[in-house]
This record gives sequence, structure tokens and C-alpha cells, in this order.
Amino acid sequence: MYFQKKHCIAMLLAGGQGSRLKVLTENTAKPAVPFGGKYRIIDFPLSNCVNSGIDTVGILTQYQPLELNEYIGNGQPWGLNKTHSCAQVLPPYERHDKKSGWYKGTANAIYQNIDFIDRYHPDYVVILSGDHIYKMDYASMVAYHEENNASCTIAVRTVPLKEASRFGILNTNADNSIYEFEEKPKVPKSTNASMGIYVFNWDVLRNALIADEEDESSSHDFGKNIIPTLLHQGHRMMAYNFDGYWKDVGTIDSLWEANMELLGQAPEFNIRGDERYKIYARNNALPSSYIDGNAKTTNCFIAEGSEIFGTVTHSIISIGCTVGTGALVEDSVVMPGVTIEPGAIVRHAILGENSVVGRNAVVGGVFSPKDKKKISVISKGAVVEANTVLLPGEML
Amino acid sequence: MNVMGIIFANDATLGALTNKRTMASLPYGGRYRLVDFHLSNMAAAGVRHVGIITRHNYQSLMNHIGSGEEWGLELEEGGLEFLTPYAMSATDSYHGKLEAIHEAMDFLNSGPEDEYVITCDSAIISNIDLQDVLNSHIASGKDVTVVTKAGIADGFKQLDLALKLDEKGEILDVAVDYIAPADYVASMDIFIMSKQYLRNTIREFIARNLFHMDRDLILGQWQKNAVTINVYPFGGTALYNESLNEYFRNSLALIDPAVRHDLFGGIHPVFTKVRDRVPSYYGENCKITNSILADGCMLEGSVESSVLFRQVTVGKGAQIENCVIMNDTVVGEGAQLKCVILDKDVIVHPGAKLCGTPNHPLVIKRGEIV
Repeated sequence: MYFQKKHCIAMLLAGGQGSRLKVLTENTAKPAVPFGGKYRIIDFPLSNCVNSGIDTVGILTQYQPLELNEYIGNGQPWGLNKTHSCAQVLPPYERHDKKSGWYKGTANAIYQNIDFIDRYHPDYVVILSGDHIYKMDYASMVAYHEENNASCTIAVRTVPLKEASRFGILNTNADNSIYEFEEKPKVPKSTNASMGIYVFNWDVLRNALIADEEDESSSHDFGKNIIPTLLHQGHRMMAYNFDGYWKDVGTIDSLWEANMELLGQAPEFNIRGDERYKIYARNNALPSSYIDGNAKTTNCFIAEGSEIFGTVTHSIISIGCTVGTGALVEDSVVMPGVTIEPGAIVRHAILGENSVVGRNAVVGGVFSPKDKKKISVISKGAVVEANTVLLPGEML
Repeated sequence: MNVMGIIFANDATLGALTNKRTMASLPYGGRYRLVDFHLSNMAAAGVRHVGIITRHNYQSLMNHIGSGEEWGLELEEGGLEFLTPYAMSATDSYHGKLEAIHEAMDFLNSGPEDEYVITCDSAIISNIDLQDVLNSHIASGKDVTVVTKAGIADGFKQLDLALKLDEKGEILDVAVDYIAPADYVASMDIFIMSKQYLRNTIREFIARNLFHMDRDLILGQWQKNAVTINVYPFGGTALYNESLNEYFRNSLALIDPAVRHDLFGGIHPVFTKVRDRVPSYYGENCKITNSILADGCMLEGSVESSVLFRQVTVGKGAQIENCVIMNDTVVGEGAQLKCVILDKDVIVHPGAKLCGTPNHPLVIKRGEIV
């Protein structure tokens, strides 16, 4: 079989369980969690690849992969199904030498797929994770990596000092080269947080992965093992500053916030009207939406195939939803296929796919702007019975 | 079941809306073109080889359909073929459907000999189970099946093909280009026959200067008792878009849940070209009622009883009522529109006022600035 040599390919780590998303990821891998009305989280890194001219993407799956595999399919929605492009799902597998089985860590996941990468003889490999919402041109980052003659380049963003101890922090010289990496430091020396996006020279990474695999004490993780080891070996490693919108949607609160940040006249994260930088998604054959004569829809996203008879404000209504007469949806994320029956009230909530809020049921509550909002969550397919109440912060 | 499909793309009758596009590529319902309904009907019935006969203005149609991927018609065997004048044996336009198929004989000859052929026009849309129509055709043992719809004939509308049936469904009368009274049923321009019957008919007819499916085959042969006809009465929604008024009325008819659910929630989904637009954004001060809206819109003004296609922008204070607004059109702040069809890429300046009437919608041509 012939594989075209690639300048750069991407490996997307999509195996994480996302346990902090609680009921939303009970049966769904985090990258497959719906976002923004018609997308899933993985659409953002995948679309970034396509928009950056990267046409070969390996997607490493492990936790609850069925839905994610089905969603990615042959990569057609992202244009990754052509003769010399691919979106290849890479689940763990069994090998003759027993160096296989479940992915033991992020680095081990790539290690187990060295053969896949070798087929394309890439100069560079971009390592991405499937749980961040952002638009980024990886091609600029690769160009920066090349210009600086680096072995590894890590995307960084500035975070508030008080939050810096939650991240991997990179300490850099004046030329942005990295001299120290600290994983979640108690006393951070800088505010350059790693975004978990790496560009490696493939030969450097390949050797590092093989050496790391031999090291029994290693936890086979990029942040904990590979990056510190390469730094220690004296490789030239660069920080690449990124100041655009970027959100780790790993928690209920951040997932809710990121959805809300799509709204408004001048949204914090604008995915509207940018023809040159589309976010692609697998499409469902759904008709246009219907807004009834008694409906009131303000400051909201309404995706196709929805029928709105009630009031929707400051919310995301995803594809194929129904909001019944007299129902109120406020400050909420309504995922695909949800039915909100007449008279129901939904506030500060995330409603999982195909869930149902029964007639006159009440979900969530109201918070003053300075209070910490307690988001109510309904899991995929769950039913809130008619005339019942799901309190703020409760999960079903 | 071996069955191939033929879709006639032209016969455009909607004035400015079809000056530069085929009837098949006429936008409908916010995200569709008329051909989407026919391709989706055929694909759902297992038709794996579809020819689209088109004479001119087919650039927008080809752009829309592409390889047929969205309808599952991008196939190794069969798939989708454009039968343009250059792909046919003659480059002149044809007189009737039989002549058009005659010119595309290579297409008809491809595939197995024991196939059936479904032909349909573009203007009449429905969500119909063509598998059931085919089963009815085979069970009837008749030469031709004509799909009909009751309630279209009203004593005013001229029908391409009208049939009068007795209570048992036997044909009492056949008429062509006829302003039929209400007790006639209208043809939906969907026919099924065997490939061999169609080919033999064409060979005999073309040699005798007979070109028309409705006039020469159905009417002419019925009068001579030379054809057996199976009538398949369709009970669902069928929308006839044969004049501007009909198109306008049918567009707004989607606001009626019965029509909408029958057309889209029917037997199978309706597929269309994917555009990857974001969900529509409803602004702080917008007022949207009784309307159908596609994705990618930016809405700040008021919209009532209207259909908005993808990526339409409605500025602050704009008032839109009874309108059909196609892709990428921008309605400026404070503009007032009533009974207007705005084609794609129109720009309406802030404060402009445009007004048609329910029976005479005003049409703004593609790309115009008003």
C-alpha cells in the first residue's frame, strides 16, 4: 500500500473519560459531548486540523468509544476521507509482543501507534487533546516551530497567577525557549500555562516514546514524563503564545460557561459569520426550525430541526428539540433531541441528549450575578416526570 | 429491486426565480432545493442509479448535487449522472420527455435488462414511498403507473395530466393541459414502467414524431386502448410549484404543522447539501413569530409568517411579514418588507420599504441591491 509522505500529521487524544462531567459522560466519551447547538467537542480540534491544512489525523479512543467512533465514521464531514487524507480511529489493540492493551497514558497511547505514524514519514507530529474549545491555526505553530529549529514546541496561554498552580507551567527565556517545566507548581514562577498542544519533530518524539516505554517508573504521560525528559536532555523547546479564545470544558461549570460564551451581540467566542474558518460537524438531515406565534426567542442559538412554542432566552437550543407552549428555558444548554413539555421551567441547566422535561416540571433556579451558579444536569435520555422539581445543582 | 430513476430538471416557469437556475435547483423551505425531495424519495426506495436530464442553466444544480454523496448516491456502480445536452446524442433541446430519454438512451441501456424506471419532474414535491408505488406497479401487471393526487383540480388550475376515475379507480377520462373540474385527479408527474416497455415505446414513438409522455403515451395510447394504466393515488402532501403564486403559497404553507410534518417527518428524511453553518442567532431584541428559519441567520429585527434561508441577516428594527428570503440576503435596519420573495445575495438598504400582495408577491432578483 502506498502512503503519501506528509509534512505534518496530527494525533488527537480522545480517550479520556471526562469524569468531572459526571452524568454527561456516563455513556459518552468527553470529546463526543454535544456543544454549541450542533457540534461535538471533538469538532473543534478536528476542524482546526482541516483549516490548518492537516489532512491526516489519528484519533486515539479508549473510553466509551462507540458513539465517538460512529460520529467520526470515515471522516467525511471534515473532508478527511479522500485518497490522501484520513481520520483514522485508533483504539487500543493486542500485539504479539504484549506491549499493548489499554492505553496506560497519553505518551503510551502514541507509542502504541508508532506504526500508524511511520506510514506517513511525517517531519512533524502535532499532539492535540479532544476536550478543548478553541479555534487555532496549527500551521502557524508548525511554521514557528520550524523557524526556531526546535525539537518540540508547546502552545501556551497566559493564565491569572492565582490559577497558575492548576496548570503545567512553562518558564521561558527571553527568546521564548523553555528552560523549565513544572506540572501544577505550588509557587508558580510564571503564568505561561501549557494548553496540551505540542508540535514534535517525529524522529525526536519517536525515540523519546521508545525510551519512555522502557522506563518502568514512568507514568507514560506527555506532561509528567516526555516533556521534562526532553528538556533534561537539552533539546531546544519553544513556547508558542496563543491569546485567542480557549476553554477546557472538562467540568459542568466550564461546559455551561463555554456554551453561554457563544451568545450575545459581541460573544467572547465568535463562531458566527466566519466563512474562512468554519467549524465542521456531522450533519443530520433535519428541516429548518419553526418558531410559533406564541414563542419568544431572545439572545439564543436555535439549531435546525427544532420547534419552539414557548419562551427561550439566553440559551442554546440544539438540533431537533421541542420547547412546548408556555414553557420557559433560561440560561440553559439544551442538547440535541430534547423535549421540554408545555409549562415546564428550565433555568441554569444542562439537559443531556434526548432527555425529557415533563409538563409543568421545574428544573434549576435563579442566581444573582455575583452568586456561584449551581447548574442542574439531566443525563442523556433521562426523564423529569411531570409536575416534579429538580433543584439547582442536582443531577438526574 | 432493480430500479433506475430519471429526474427532469427543467421546465422552469417561475419567471425571475428560474431565469438563471433550473426548476430542480429552486430553493425551498429554508435549506432545500426542489431536487432534494426527488433524490431523497428515490434514494429511500433503493434507487441506486439516477439520471438528471437537464438542458440549460444547470450550473447551480451541479454545484448543489455534486457527486450525490449527501443522498448516498456516490456509488461505484450506478450512482448519479447528469444527462446534459453534451452527454446526449443531440444538442438541440427536446420537444417532450420521451425525446429527452431517447437522447439519453445510453443511460437507459446501462444496468440490467429487467429493471424498472421511475421518472419524475422537479416542480411537484412530496415525501412519497416510491417502493410502495413500485410494488403497486408490479402487482398490477399494467404497462404504466401514474401517481395521482386528489384535491388539486379545482376548476381554475391547468393540469399537465388529469384523470377522471370511477369509484373503483377505473379510468373514465384522460385529459392533457386541461383546466379540470374538481372531480378529476391530478398527475404528480411520477411514472413507473419497465425499462423494456419504455424503450420499445420510445423506439416506436420517435419514429412517428411522437415525443410527449402525457399527450402521446398516456392520453394517445389510452384513447386507442393500447396501454394499460395503473393509478396510484397518493394520500400525503404534494405541493405543486407550477407558478410563482403556488411557489409562494407552498413556501409559507410550511408554517402549518400538518404540511411541515408530512413533508419532513414523513417516511424518510429529506437530505440536502451540507453547508456547515452555525445555528441561527436570535438577538436580544428580535421578535420572531410563525416562521420557518434555517441555520446561520443573524436576527435582530422582527419576522412574522415568513421563511428564512441560511445565513440571512435581519437588522435592528427591520419588519418582515409574509416573505421568503433566500440564502445570504441582508435586510438592513428598519427596512419593511411585506409579501416579498428575495432571491439569494440581495441587499436591502436600511429603511427601504418593499411591498407585494399575497397573490402577487414582489420578486427581488438574485444579487440586487434595493
